[in-house]
Amino acid sequence: MTFFHGLLGMNRRNACYTLVRNKRKLYPLVDNKLLTKQLLEDHSIPTPVLYFQIRHIFELKFLREIKHLKEFVIKPARGAEGRGILVIVDRVGKHWKTASGALLTTDDVEYHVSNILAGLYSLGGVDDEVFIEYFVKSHPLFYSLAYQGVPDIRMILYRGVPTMAMLRLPTKESGGRANLHQGAVGVGIDMYEGITHGGVHKNKLIERHPDTDALIGGVRIPFWKTILETSVRTFDLFNLGYIGIDFVIDSSLGPLILELNARPGLSIQLANHEGLLPRLQTIDSFGPDVEEMPPEKRLELTQEMLVKIKRV
Amino acid sequence: MNRKVYTVSAVLIALSIALVIARIIYGGQSIRPEFNQECWRVSLIMELTGNAERAKVRVTLPQDTDRQTIYNEHYENAETNFYIRMRKSDFTENRVGFWRTELLDGDKTIKYTFSTQLRELVYGIPTNLTLSKNPAGMYPADIQPWLNPSSEIQSGDEELRNRLSKIIGKDKSIHSVVRKIYDFVRGEVKYQSEKGSKDAKLALAKLVADCGGQARLFTAFCRAAGIPSRCVGGLILKPDVKKITHLWCECYIGGKWIPFDTVNGHYGSIPANYLEIYRGDYALIKHTGLSRFNYYFVIRHENIPPVDQPGSLYVIPLHFQSLVQVLILIPLGALVVAFMRVVVGIPTFGTFAPILLALAFREVSLWVGLTCVISLVFLGWILRSVLDYFKILIIPRLSIMVTLVVIFVLAIMIIGFHLSHRKMLYVSLFPIIIITWMIERFAVLQIEDGTPSALIAALGTAVVAILAYYLMEVELIKIYLFAFPELFLAIIAALLMLGRYTGIRLLEFWRFKEFLTLSRKKPQ
Repeated sequence: MTFFHGLLGMNRRNACYTLVRNKRKLYPLVDNKLLTKQLLEDHSIPTPVLYFQIRHIFELKFLREIKHLKEFVIKPARGAEGRGILVIVDRVGKHWKTASGALLTTDDVEYHVSNILAGLYSLGGVDDEVFIEYFVKSHPLFYSLAYQGVPDIRMILYRGVPTMAMLRLPTKESGGRANLHQGAVGVGIDMYEGITHGGVHKNKLIERHPDTDALIGGVRIPFWKTILETSVRTFDLFNLGYIGIDFVIDSSLGPLILELNARPGLSIQLANHEGLLPRLQTIDSFGPDVEEMPPEKRLELTQEMLVKIKRV
Repeated sequence: MNRKVYTVSAVLIALSIALVIARIIYGGQSIRPEFNQECWRVSLIMELTGNAERAKVRVTLPQDTDRQTIYNEHYENAETNFYIRMRKSDFTENRVGFWRTELLDGDKTIKYTFSTQLRELVYGIPTNLTLSKNPAGMYPADIQPWLNPSSEIQSGDEELRNRLSKIIGKDKSIHSVVRKIYDFVRGEVKYQSEKGSKDAKLALAKLVADCGGQARLFTAFCRAAGIPSRCVGGLILKPDVKKITHLWCECYIGGKWIPFDTVNGHYGSIPANYLEIYRGDYALIKHTGLSRFNYYFVIRHENIPPVDQPGSLYVIPLHFQSLVQVLILIPLGALVVAFMRVVVGIPTFGTFAPILLALAFREVSLWVGLTCVISLVFLGWILRSVLDYFKILIIPRLSIMVTLVVIFVLAIMIIGFHLSHRKMLYVSLFPIIIITWMIERFAVLQIEDGTPSALIAALGTAVVAILAYYLMEVELIKIYLFAFPELFLAIIAALLMLGRYTGIRLLEFWRFKEFLTLSRKKPQ
């Protein structure tokens, strides 16, 4: 048995994977969600529709022009860890209703947007841009599972090979967000068939969702094959060797890529009850030109890797 | 990759060690290591009280000899006019410092500090030398004056010469003549500390004298016998605060000046703690134009051998050295932060906040500092919540926070002044920007990730800052970093190795502790 189940620690992830495999100059492509969206749309990879963007304070008035739109999401282009995202689900009189049920005036929304523009939520506090996009409606399968918000699927690709995945379920505590350290539930996914098994909540292993009490294991992720195929195609656009791709499954549009992350977190290991190191090392054992292989070949490598580490 | 990093680190460490060793070996000027050596740090503190007159203080300063090295000298001149001259007097040259003031009304404190490295010396006195009828002819011209009588050393005095012939009899060997004179002065003249030393004649008449009287009597006897000799003034070093200086003698025998101290019984030898300040019958300190004058020496051990080459930090003027003392601690703090984050995994508000907090703690003491930071951050966080209510844009909001933190700090200073708690006044040196930024980070983290994560990061920052503070307070580390800044290369080497440390952080074991229960549940 490997040391501590082959746990990949923060130091090793940085020193041996992100720093080595991810070229610094490619980071803006994923750190700026607007650029990510542009690139994905250019290559017909589905992503939530961009309504409009706000670059300057004077453009705040665009918000007041919103007449018929009732559901949308306000996001900072450079936000980290789901920070600064405001989900508007309805319009009640003169107020906007957020996903958590709070009523906001237009002033409140404008203040939030101006904070984003000033860089409150961006990496390193630099000036930021805001974009307004399509509000994803959760797939019916997840209605009973998630408390609020939209669950997403985090897929880790190492050198273009899908390596590990988890389903992230928002909880009451996480306030509709799907980030594990904010209290969301992470559920491990069997890479072969896309079936979930036990999960993790606040670093503790769990079997049931803490709010809905629904069993979180044994769920077959819809469109699993599509998700895998989209992942390997996405790698060819971004060329980052160690990357996390966040998918959401829209009830009518199917899998959409929300964002990419060049520094994906480590909690996915807890959700899968397994360390990442054996998988990463197996992929490295496939030779130096894994990245150059065609997408279909790389999908096969995932299967091969699972066989090698005896997960099938 | 790791191999290259380790190689570079090893090279850096080797380089820093080599530089340190080279500095120790070649920094010590004339003193060779085989002798028993001692290093001391001596301050001469002079308190001047003037009465609206031009004042002048003249002090003989120690200089390098073949058994002592003076290094790291500092002068705190209290706005007086200070200069050093070589002064020829009594056939020898002494190094003299002068402090002059304009019309001095009130008090001034002048401080002269130096380090000295000394060695013990034991001479063998040649047995084959004999006294000559014409001593002046035996010695080189620059030695001859040391045979002549002077005002306090009356070697021509008839009574003294008679006594001398009784003491030495018909003996002609320099070796045994000096021994007899030494035994007489040590045996017959009673030691008693006095106000103002006697001259040689009076010491012989009373047979009671302090070090000055005994030294003058011994010198007078030797000169009368035809051996060139002189008094030497200096300080006996031991960790202490004292005023008393010492006087001993040197005789020129066989081409060397050989020391004798009848008071403490050093015959032809000088112990390592004798610091020579002046030669000849000279005064240590003279002053004019002062209504009151007081001086004392503060003596303590010095840990650093002389390394005052031009490239050393010691050449920086003293009042800038306190700044350098702070600067050299920053890499040390950075090392602590890097270690705590990379190896232990403690979250902090950025890299620099713990370092700057630790530096601030040094100024105001740990508990005062910690209390101030916690109350400032808490108060700031409350006021920031109020600003949040007004919906203020981020840049003006941060500017308001900085202003508020400055106001708090000024308030603390005024309160501290009224409580006559002097340490509180140093709060002004507090890292105001860092505290503002900590408030902002705390508030954002509290809103985004919840109060627990914000408190944990705050606690982590405090813990790392306290650790860095304690490390910065270790005297040895401070002294060695100051003396050998090349140790920074070793710090860089350590940071390089931390930069390639791929092990699991200690706190990650805690985060992933469920992995342990896993192996019990379903063995792989």
